[in-house]
Amino acid sequence: MSTLSLPKRGRDDRRVALVFLAPALVGFGVFYVYPALLGTWYSMTDWNLLSEPAFVGADNFVTLLHDSLFWNSLAVTGYYVVLTITVQMVGGLFLAALMHRLTRSLVLRSLLVVPWLVPNVTVGLLWMWLLDADLGFFNHLLTGMGLDNQGFLTAPDLAMPSVSMINAWTSTGYTALLLYAGMCLVPKQVYEAAALDGAGELRTFFRVTLPLMRPILAFVLVVSLIGSFQLFDTVAVTTKGGPVNATRVIYYYIYEQAFTHFKMGYASAMALTLVLILGVLTFVQMRILRASTSDLA
Amino acid sequence: MRRAAALAVLLLTAACGASAQEDGGKVTLTYGLWDDVQQGVYQKCADAFQKANPGITIKIQQSGWEQYWQNLTTQMVSGEAPDVITMQASYYPQFVKNGQLLDIEPMVKADKVDLTQYRAGLAEPWVKDGKRYGLPKDWDTMAVVYNVEQAKKAGVDLKNLTWNPADGGTFEKAIARLTVDSAGKRGDEPGFDKGKVAVHGYIPELRDGALGQNGWGDLAVSNGFSFIDKNPFGTKYFYDSPKLAETVEWFKRLSDKGYTATYDKASSLGVDSVLDSGKAALGITGSWMINTYLATDKFAFAPLPEGPQGRKSAFNGLADVVYSGTQHKEAAWKWVKFLGSTGCQDIVGDSAVVFPAINSSAERAMKAHEKAGRDVSAFTSIAEAKDGTFLLPVSDHGDEIGQIVQTALEEVWLGQKAATTALTAANTQVNELFGTR
Amino acid sequence: MRRILAWACLALAILITLFPFYWMLRTAITPGRELATDNFALLPEHPTLINFERVLGLTTREETRAAGGSGANLDFFLYLRNSFIYTGLITVAQTLFCAMAGYAFARLRFPFRDALFGLFVAALMVPPIFTLLPSFAVVKQLGWLNTFQGLVAPSMLMTPFAIFFLRQFFLGFPREVEQAATIDGAGKWTLFWRVVLPMTRGPLLTLALTTAVWAWNDYLWPLLIAPGEETRVLTAALGIFLKQSPNNAPDWTGLMAGSALSVIPVLLLLVFFGRRLVDSIQFSGLK
Repeated sequence: MSTLSLPKRGRDDRRVALVFLAPALVGFGVFYVYPALLGTWYSMTDWNLLSEPAFVGADNFVTLLHDSLFWNSLAVTGYYVVLTITVQMVGGLFLAALMHRLTRSLVLRSLLVVPWLVPNVTVGLLWMWLLDADLGFFNHLLTGMGLDNQGFLTAPDLAMPSVSMINAWTSTGYTALLLYAGMCLVPKQVYEAAALDGAGELRTFFRVTLPLMRPILAFVLVVSLIGSFQLFDTVAVTTKGGPVNATRVIYYYIYEQAFTHFKMGYASAMALTLVLILGVLTFVQMRILRASTSDLA
Repeated sequence: MRRAAALAVLLLTAACGASAQEDGGKVTLTYGLWDDVQQGVYQKCADAFQKANPGITIKIQQSGWEQYWQNLTTQMVSGEAPDVITMQASYYPQFVKNGQLLDIEPMVKADKVDLTQYRAGLAEPWVKDGKRYGLPKDWDTMAVVYNVEQAKKAGVDLKNLTWNPADGGTFEKAIARLTVDSAGKRGDEPGFDKGKVAVHGYIPELRDGALGQNGWGDLAVSNGFSFIDKNPFGTKYFYDSPKLAETVEWFKRLSDKGYTATYDKASSLGVDSVLDSGKAALGITGSWMINTYLATDKFAFAPLPEGPQGRKSAFNGLADVVYSGTQHKEAAWKWVKFLGSTGCQDIVGDSAVVFPAINSSAERAMKAHEKAGRDVSAFTSIAEAKDGTFLLPVSDHGDEIGQIVQTALEEVWLGQKAATTALTAANTQVNELFGTR
Repeated sequence: MRRILAWACLALAILITLFPFYWMLRTAITPGRELATDNFALLPEHPTLINFERVLGLTTREETRAAGGSGANLDFFLYLRNSFIYTGLITVAQTLFCAMAGYAFARLRFPFRDALFGLFVAALMVPPIFTLLPSFAVVKQLGWLNTFQGLVAPSMLMTPFAIFFLRQFFLGFPREVEQAATIDGAGKWTLFWRVVLPMTRGPLLTLALTTAVWAWNDYLWPLLIAPGEETRVLTAALGIFLKQSPNNAPDWTGLMAGSALSVIPVLLLLVFFGRRLVDSIQFSGLK
C-alpha cells in the first residue's frame, strides 16, 4: 500500500473516500471498464444480439480489412470533419471578432447559441425540410433566381457538404462564443500598443489577437474534432448514409451493422479499430498541443 | 464476472425494476401492427375476439413502418416483443434464423385449420424446413393509378398499355403525352423544355429496396426477369440479369427525357401526395392504397402495362406470427387462429381496407368496393389472370440485400454507373452472403 | 462605413441563425394539403393550428387524416415527460455524484488515488461508440431495456469529463475555509455538504446546465435502449413522425409542429438562465 504522502494525522481518508467515490466507481466499473472488456471480447465473436456469441478469432478484423465500406466510411468521416471544422472555425472567429469589436450584447450572444441548444434531431428534420429538392425553401430561392433546383441531400456530390453545413450552422455560434471569451482575455494594453504602432484592424487581428488566442483555439479545435468524429444524429435523420454511401459515416456504419444487421461482433471490431486509429490521432494532436502554449503565459 | 457486475448494480437499484404481470387468470396480449389505416379494423376484430374469449384482452401496439422494425429488434433482444406480430414475408426469415418466432404447425394440425380456404400461394412462404410460422391475413397486387382529368386533357387511353424496355411501348408514349412543361408544351411535342417541367408524366417509386414492388420489379418481371432460383428460401439471386438491367436503364432514360423527376431531385413527399398536388399524372400503386386514392373521383386505376412476357404484378401477403418469447402461447395462438379465420377476415373484408387472405372474405371486400362504386378491377383481374402475379422473393439476408441492391440502383439512376456494371457487382455481393457465387 | 458593414455581417449571421426557425413555424401553421402547391409567401394562405393540435393528440384519427397527416398517435406529453425525467435524473445525479468524486480526488487521501484518477482521465479519450455497444449488452443483461433505469444508469453515476472538470475547481478551493470548519469539529462528510458544495454553486451550475442540454438533445442512446412507448423520449419520438408507412412521405407539417414544440423548453432555459448559460459556455472553454 502506498504511503508516500500520507498526512501527519497518521491515517488517510480511505473510508470516507470510499463513500465519496462509490457511485462514480460503480458507474466507471459497470459502464466503462466492463463494457471495454466486453467490447474487446465481442470483437472476436460472431455475436448477433439474439443467440450466444461464439469465438471466431481475428475473423472480424480480416473481414474489416477487406470491407471497402468501412474504409469508405472513414474517408467520408474525414471529409466531413475537415469541411465542418473549417467552416465552423472560420465563421466562429469572424463572428467572435465582430462581437468583440462591436457589442457586448448578451441578447445577441444568446441568439447565436440557440441552434446549439436545439436537439440535433430537430435540426436535422428542419434542414431536411428547408433543403428538400422539390418543396424546400432554398430550392425555391434558386428557382426564383432562374437557377435549377438541387438535390442538396440526395445528390452524391452535395449530400456531405449539406450535412456539414447543417452542423456548421448548429455549432458556429457556439464556437464563436468560446472564441469570444478567449478574445476578452487578451489584455487591452496589447491592442493599445498595436494601435500606437499604427497597425490596421486586420493586421492587429492576424498579428496580435490570433497568436495570443492559440491555447483557446487549440482547445476549441480539439473539442470540435472529437465531436465531429461522432457524427450520427444528423445523418440518421437526413440521409441515412446515402446517396450511394456518400454520407455513411463511421458511427452510422457501426450502428447499422450492430442494430440493423445484428452483427454485433463485427460492429465491435470496427469500434475497437476506430479506438486504435483515434488513439494514434490523439497522440499526434497532443504533440501539437504541447507546442502551443500561449505567448501570454 | 458478467453476473457479478450485473448483480452489483441490481443490488443498488433493486427497488426500481418491477414489470407488469398478469393478474389472476386474465391474460393481456399485445398485438403489433404498423398500418394506422388498418388499426381501426383490427380493433373491431379484437372486440369480437374479446367477447368470445372473456379472459383475454388484446392491446394493439401501432408504430410507423421504420420504427416498427427497429422497435421489434430491441423488443426481441429484451424479450418483450408483442405476443402476436404482423409480419412481412421478406422480413421474417431473419427472425426465424434467430429463433424468435414460434412454430405453429403443431397447433395448425391439432386444430385442423383449413389451409385451403386461403388464396392459393399465400400460406406457403411461411413454411421453412417443415415448420410453419404464420397464418395469412391479406394479399395485395399492383396497378397503375392516374389523374383522370389530366389523362382526359392529354387524350390518352390508359386501359390497355404495353411496355418494353427498348422504346417503352404505349406506356412511355402515354407518359410523354402526360408530361407538360411550364409553357404548356407536352412531352411528345416539339419544343418541349425538359428543364422546366410543370407536370411529370410519371412518378416512379425508386426507393424500393431489392424488390421493386411498386414499379421496377413488376416491369422487370414482365420483361422476363426472375429474382431468385427458388422461392421461398432460394440461395442464388439473379440481379445480374440483362432483363433487369434493361428495365433499370429505361427508368434512367425516362428521367433523362424529363418525363420523370431525376433521382436526386425527386420529391420527398410520397407518390400519393405528389399525385394529389397535380405535379405528376400517373404512378404505380398497391391495392392497400385503394381507399386513399378513391376517396374522391380525382383518380382511377388501370391495369399494369403488358410487357414482353405479359402483365405481371407483384403479389405479396402479410401474416400474423407468434413471438417465441411469449408468456401466453395458448392465448396467442387463439388470437392468431381468429385473425386467420372468417371471424376476423370478414370484418376486414367488409371494411375493404385490404383484400383478406380467405377467398370468401376477399369476395366480401370486392363486393364492398362495388357497392361503394369503386372500380378495383385493375387489381383483381391481374390476381385472377393465369401467371398474372409473381411472389416477391423471400430468403435469408433480406435486410442486407435490400441495402446492397438499393445502392446499386442509386448508382445507375444517379448516372454514376451503367446498369450492367452496378447490378453485376451487387449480385456478386448478394450471392456471397449465401456463399453461392 | 466599416462599422456599418460589420453590423450588417452580424445582422446577416443572426438572420441565418433564426430564419430556419421562422420557416419551421411557418410550415407548422400550413395545412398539410397545401404544402405541395405552396406559394412561399411569408404566411401560408390558410394558417391553421391543426398541426399543433394533432401533434398534441387533440384531434381524432379522421381529422388528422383529413389534414393530410398520418393517423398515428404522437403522445407528445408522454414523451415530453420522459425527456424531462431523463434530463432531470441525469443532470441532478451526475452533478452530485461527480462533485463527490471530484472532491475526493482533489482533497481526500487514499491509496491509488492518482492512478485511479489517471484511469478516469484515460477514459475521456475513448470514443463513446466503443463502450456504447457493450453498454447496450450490459443494460440488456440487467433486463433494463425499455426502462428508465436502463436509460439513465450509464451517465447518471459519472462521466469522466464531469469528474475531471469539478476536480479542477475543488483543487482551487481555499484550504483555509476547510481548515476553519474542521476546527469546528466538522467531519469530511459534513464539510463537503455544508461548506464546499454551497461555495462551488457556480461551477456546479455550469456543469449541470451543459449536462442538461446534452441529455435533452441525446438521441442514439435513448433510441437504442428505450424505444418503447412508455420510455420513449422526445428526440426519438420525432423520428417516428418521419416515416409512417412503406410508401408514405414525411408528414412535414406535423414534423415541424412537433419540432417547434420541442424547441420551447430550450427557449425557456435560455430565458431563465440566459446569462448563466452563455457564461457557462464561454467559461467551459477557458478551463
